[in-house]
Amino acid sequence: MNILVCIKQVPDMEARFTPNATGTWFEESGLAFRMNDYDEFAVEEAVRLKERLGGEVEVTVLSIGPDRVVETIRKAMAMGCDHGVHVRDDVATDRDPWQIATMIAGYARSRGFGLIFTGMQSLDRGSAQVGVLVAELLGLSCATTVVGFSCDGATATVERELEGGTRAVVRLRLPALLTCQLGLNTPRYPTLPNILKARKRELLVLSPGEVGVEAPLAEASGFSRHERRSTCTVLEGEAGELAGMVVDLLKERTAVLRRGGGR
Amino acid sequence: MRETRELFWNVGQGSVPLMYLLSLAAVAVMVQGFRRLFGAWRLGRPLDRFDRSRERISRFLSETMTQRRVLRVPDGGLLHSGLFWGFITMFVGTILVMFQADLLSPVFQVNMLSGLFYRIFSLVLDLAGITALLALAGLFVRRYFIRPDGLETTQEDGLVHALLLCILLTGFLIEGSRMAVTEVRDNPALALWSPAGLLASRLFASMGDEAVAGLHRGLWWLHLLLGLGFIALIPRTKLRHLFTTSGNSYFAPLEGQGELATIDLEDDTVDRFGATLASDLTWKDLFDTDACTACKRCQDRCPAWVTGKPLSPMKVIRQIGRSASESPSKSLIDAVTREALWACTTCGACQEICPADIEHVVKIVEMRRSLTLMEGEFAGEEVRKATSAIEVTGNPFGMAPASRGAWAEGLPVSVMADDSRVDLLYFAGCYASFDPRNRKVAESFVRICAAAGIRVGILGAEERCCGEPVRMMGNEYLYQMTARQNIAAIGKYGVTRIVTACPHCFTTLDRGWRNLGLEIPVEHHSTFIAGLVGRRQLKLAPEPFGFTWHDPCYLGRHNGIYTEPRSLLKAAGGKLSEMEASGPDSFCCGAGGGRILAEERTGRRINSERVRMARNSGAGTLVSGCPFCLSMFEDGMAAAGSGSGMKAFDLAEIVAARIGG
Repeated sequence: MNILVCIKQVPDMEARFTPNATGTWFEESGLAFRMNDYDEFAVEEAVRLKERLGGEVEVTVLSIGPDRVVETIRKAMAMGCDHGVHVRDDVATDRDPWQIATMIAGYARSRGFGLIFTGMQSLDRGSAQVGVLVAELLGLSCATTVVGFSCDGATATVERELEGGTRAVVRLRLPALLTCQLGLNTPRYPTLPNILKARKRELLVLSPGEVGVEAPLAEASGFSRHERRSTCTVLEGEAGELAGMVVDLLKERTAVLRRGGGR
Repeated sequence: MRETRELFWNVGQGSVPLMYLLSLAAVAVMVQGFRRLFGAWRLGRPLDRFDRSRERISRFLSETMTQRRVLRVPDGGLLHSGLFWGFITMFVGTILVMFQADLLSPVFQVNMLSGLFYRIFSLVLDLAGITALLALAGLFVRRYFIRPDGLETTQEDGLVHALLLCILLTGFLIEGSRMAVTEVRDNPALALWSPAGLLASRLFASMGDEAVAGLHRGLWWLHLLLGLGFIALIPRTKLRHLFTTSGNSYFAPLEGQGELATIDLEDDTVDRFGATLASDLTWKDLFDTDACTACKRCQDRCPAWVTGKPLSPMKVIRQIGRSASESPSKSLIDAVTREALWACTTCGACQEICPADIEHVVKIVEMRRSLTLMEGEFAGEEVRKATSAIEVTGNPFGMAPASRGAWAEGLPVSVMADDSRVDLLYFAGCYASFDPRNRKVAESFVRICAAAGIRVGILGAEERCCGEPVRMMGNEYLYQMTARQNIAAIGKYGVTRIVTACPHCFTTLDRGWRNLGLEIPVEHHSTFIAGLVGRRQLKLAPEPFGFTWHDPCYLGRHNGIYTEPRSLLKAAGGKLSEMEASGPDSFCCGAGGGRILAEERTGRRINSERVRMARNSGAGTLVSGCPFCLSMFEDGMAAAGSGSGMKAFDLAEIVAARIGG
């Protein structure tokens, strides 16, 4: 069985984002880039499955974007992916989820992957659409927000995280696509011998045209900072009273007291 | 009457060949033992410690003969020196006797051991014997009755004590029995020159001559056999330190302590990094384990051990020795334990005090390298996060790299990318760039430079972590990556001088980056500012304050900078009260060795311990010259509550507040 992992390079979210020249996305200069968190869970799960099954299993990692994404592909390879595919696309950040999904599906269609792992969503765009679109385009079974995974070679059994602190168990026939959520695993830190080996491996470099890209279905038309209007509330009164007021405020204005936490 | 004595009196010249035969056998047994040790040392990787032999020989002679390093700690050290000097004197005496008996007498028919020389010879050797005996008694009381904390006593210690005692006692008895039937009667004036022998001779006073002669002969052979046993036992007991500990004063590094090897990441033939097995260490690392005498001075001073963590530098060294000799194919790291390895602050207090010149820190870092580079392990989840942050954003806080130079906005500092016509490059480091408390230090440094008419430049967004914390945690790869990015950035601007306010940056740039291609001189702000004041380029308006100076490990022990910061602070009006552990004996703040990135989960907090020492000094201000120390002290003081009334500062803040007109 062969496995595909789709990863995205995203900016470190600590940065202060400003709109780019066209005003449709953020300005990239001065940003630090890294692998999307959820995609790290995807890579880790794929490599773990390969290690469990041993033998013939090979993991291919794919990323779409400009040359900077090679570093992230190499990191995934250092974590244990066997092959790297770079769809070199300087305008990847302008594309909508549909276009990205058609490119991935274009690459994967004839290659017979038994399992495809993606992140649940990206930290920057956050559409959470690419994985499910790829599954639909390829006619695969699909489960999202996966936090537990086992596989016997013909079926996959996954645990999905639902809202409100509940979980569901889903069984899927392979081939299948899974989008990974926080809690699935703790990604490994690559070892130096693997980093050095990954540095030397050849990548398969393809153009959007070679994998096939369709016209966008949605178009970004604006990007701006969300100016948070925070107001300061000063509470006054007895300690006991104050505690009640704080609880009320937390209930009304935040999610911290709701079941399942406030993530 | 000639004042001399008959060599081999009563034993007879006929015994001499047998004596030499037995001696030869003892030496052969000793050599055999050393060959086995030698085999164990050769398990290690190669390392050149035979260069600059003249410097090495002179250090070897001065350290062993003066017992300088042993005497650093009077407890145990004084007694050891007594034993050493006693035995070395008697050894020289024995060699003189051999020289006389086998060369001067038979070949030249000259008797050196006569007259005044013989009188002095007798007295000196008697006094040496008495000194050794008293020292041995003192050591015995110390080990078996006083029992200092942490001193480990085994049967071997008992054996060596008994052997030395018997050798000394039989020596005096031989002398006493010989004198009882010779000197005491024939030349009482000469007998006075052998006070211990004279005292011992009383034991034999009431015995018949025949009986004394018989006893003397028996004791002589016993003494010989004990002496030969001593020789044979040298490689097999802690007595080996006669060779290995003194040998280490030859092999110890000539550079500053704690110098780490720079791994060649381009070497395709290497696929193992760090020390997983004992054989991954160098021969010198394994030799060190045989130089250790378990004096536990390192353990007494280790900030981790003292605060109840499972790291004892001594136990690490001894475990490496056991692993190398007993189970070389088993994991060294499992034997030493991860908890012990991660607890090290690489402060170097162990190496500083070690009378055997053992290098503890490099071994610990080599084992950490194995954990980090071969296993992808971390001292904790928080360290993993900080490491990833350094990888991505160039700082352990994960702050946006673009904002790295934001602290300098509005200050007389130019970002190199905008204007590189500066007198010096200030390598701010992560803490001064992002930590609000340490930003004040950076501001102070800039104000000082401005007052001295010096144009300061920073790399700003182009600067990244120097890599020190992750390097000490074993991540040589990330260290080299971030270091090379910095070196490339600095290389663009024709920088002629770099100053940093962080001893960790300082040591890393000055020594580590040298091996990666940086050639620009680097200075710590303490010596730099002291220089400005010394040249009167910066004038101070002294204002009285009481302070205690905390020697940061990487300024003091690792770079030998002790006096400049003290003098500078005194020039600023400070009155110094030293802490109980200062100078080379300074006690770590707890943040070295990459521990700045880690939570302290076991034992008491090291920074609280240091703050306690600072408070005991009676000074109102705790001054240091390191951002890690400053952060640790701020935390330690906050934990101690506001009652302490003590404040922590960097020396730049003190100076900046006293800039004169």
